[in-house]
Amino acid sequence: MTATPATITHSLFRTKGFSCPSCVAKIEKRVGRLEGVSSVSVKFASGRVEVDHDTAVTSTDDIVDAIGTAGYESALSAL
Amino acid sequence: MSATTRWLRGPWGTPIISGLLIVIAAILSLSIGVNPFGAGHQHGLGLSLDGPTALVASDLLMVAAALVAGIPIILKAVRALLVKVIAIDLLVAIAAVGALIIGQYWEAAAVTFLFAIGHALEAGTMNRTRSALAELVAVAPDVAVVIREGEQVEISAAQVQPDETVLVKNGAKVPVDGIVIGGTGALDEASITGESIPVEKSAGDQVFAGTISGGGFLQVRATGIGADTTLARIIHRVEEAQDAKARTQSFMEKFSTWYTPGIILLALVAGLVTGDVVLALTLLVIGCPGALVISIPVAIVAGIGRGARDGILIKGGEYLETSAKITAVALDKTGTLTEGRPTLTDVTVLDPAMDRADVLGWAARAEAGSEHPLARPLIDAAAAEGLPTGGLPEHTQPVPGKGIVATLEGRRVAVGNLPLLAAEDIVEDRGAAAEVDRLAGLGRTPMVVTLDGRVIGVVAVADRLHTDAKEMISRLHATGVKKVIMLTGDNHRVAEAVAAEVGVDEVRAQLLPEDKLAVVTQLQSEGFTVAMVGDGVNDAPALATADIGVAMGAAGTGVAIETADIALMKDDLLKLPEAIGLARSTVAVMRQNIAIALITVVALLVGVFAGGVTMAIGMLVHEGSVLLVIINAMRLLRHRRPAGGGGAAAGPAVRAPRTAPEEQTV
Repeated sequence: MTATPATITHSLFRTKGFSCPSCVAKIEKRVGRLEGVSSVSVKFASGRVEVDHDTAVTSTDDIVDAIGTAGYESALSAL
Repeated sequence: MSATTRWLRGPWGTPIISGLLIVIAAILSLSIGVNPFGAGHQHGLGLSLDGPTALVASDLLMVAAALVAGIPIILKAVRALLVKVIAIDLLVAIAAVGALIIGQYWEAAAVTFLFAIGHALEAGTMNRTRSALAELVAVAPDVAVVIREGEQVEISAAQVQPDETVLVKNGAKVPVDGIVIGGTGALDEASITGESIPVEKSAGDQVFAGTISGGGFLQVRATGIGADTTLARIIHRVEEAQDAKARTQSFMEKFSTWYTPGIILLALVAGLVTGDVVLALTLLVIGCPGALVISIPVAIVAGIGRGARDGILIKGGEYLETSAKITAVALDKTGTLTEGRPTLTDVTVLDPAMDRADVLGWAARAEAGSEHPLARPLIDAAAAEGLPTGGLPEHTQPVPGKGIVATLEGRRVAVGNLPLLAAEDIVEDRGAAAEVDRLAGLGRTPMVVTLDGRVIGVVAVADRLHTDAKEMISRLHATGVKKVIMLTGDNHRVAEAVAAEVGVDEVRAQLLPEDKLAVVTQLQSEGFTVAMVGDGVNDAPALATADIGVAMGAAGTGVAIETADIALMKDDLLKLPEAIGLARSTVAVMRQNIAIALITVVALLVGVFAGGVTMAIGMLVHEGSVLLVIINAMRLLRHRRPAGGGGAAAGPAVRAPRTAPEEQTV
């Protein structure tokens, strides 16, 4: 990781279709594998995914795609 | 990624493909008169290819079905193992693979298919339990119309600058928190307060992002934007609350960490002892703790979501559990039982050299720098009578629980109760004590006014009782609260007059802020679970010490939303019993869910050893129990609103406390 911390952003995604606590590990792994993602935290009960990522390397759309690949619909949330 | 592949990757892809394969397999098998789910397919180990072609094809299709549904399960199980978690998927994976090895193709297909379809259903229903929050997120505004350089410009809601003027037209969402600076309009504030009747807004009123204009035209000065809005705070609060683990939940999670490996061990032992592989595999399937793991979070998500929808913010599952046990409620009189907008009722002149205007004038000017709720009616009344109230005293010193001492034009003015006279070393009361007594007997709050160490008169204010105060207290009793106790800084006479009127069980009057704390701790030491209700300003210590601190009318104060255990967005007293009722219902659902989960497992275990429960039946019942648990939690989201005016007199969510599974609506 040679990212300058200046471009690290904290993004919040809301997902649909969480039903079991094992979804958590699944998404954390998928998103965690992306270049430029420094931390992922998946909240099971509220269905949120919080990601710290380097926007220069990985955009929020890339993350939505990664969550989609894991089988869950998600959207970036401003709030 | 195309919509189709996304859909196939979604929860419904595998069960549908797997289900189709099972159907084709069954049809093939039936076509030659063999029951596909019966013993015709029992071959022992290995796939026998010497049977009729249709039967072989049928077997192969069943295997394919098991693989389609099973491979994702195996992958999940392996992924979980990699992060050192023995997941429920592992049980199913072992059972399915085992069934394939011993030639029980239908069983393997059924178990994996049912597990996959159960998952898909669970995902859908879990979304429904999260729907209350989704509604809140959905009302978040995205565009705003602002005035820039004299022009109306439409920008994204996040780009509004602080103090910028935002226009809210009929039918539009309010994009920011702010203060109305012009125009009038009616806003539907349901998203914030849970109140569906539109609220009239005019200059000076506070408006919230996410509320919807139902008519009129407002100009709003933006005070909070994006994440700094009440709506954002509510959403954030609710999500944090849903993620916070309740005590019972932590216990359940600990329980399931050893439960799952325990089941594997039990199956292994049972298999070795009886030599019955099918029994061992069946045990694995029915031991799935799915319903157990999900039983509590799903109830909490639904309960907290329901509260949010009705303007009741609960800090988390643990607070729900505590709220359900509340046996004593301590209420700060001012602002909860009473409207908190006292008005001036009497001015008694006790100094022959003075008149009414002098007494009221000095009192009002002394209070001009005070934060005290009793200051406003004096200042307002003085202003209404045309007395000068402008300008702050040179020096203001609040005396907690007694009143205020101020320096005006070099003269010392004190306004407060009788103890303040003692504190000021004034012995000659000129009949102040008798007058205070008379006014207090009328349920008013008298304050003695002194000037330079001499009593000049008494002013009295009275705070109107909330119309709902009495109803709230009777509903609190109905929800199982044993003791409702009123706390107030007022003197006993006033307090008793109010208490008698609303029906509280006990009164503690003439309290200093620290005394309120003492009352709370005393109640706790008597074994009560205490909720303290206040405005959060001068009863913060008591709110913090109580088992549950409740803030009323929190919509306007971000701090209360962040800190209170329960924040009632609207200044509506009846929300308090509703909140306790909701907590009790939620905890009841939790208990029912645990019962459903445990009873299912036990019944299946008995069924296995008594014979008759196969792997497929076990999985079916198990998935059924998971869905039952979720559906049971969804009952919390059902609307039980009283019709405005008519309808049942008993409130919506206020029901007598229930104990575990008696009210099962099926």
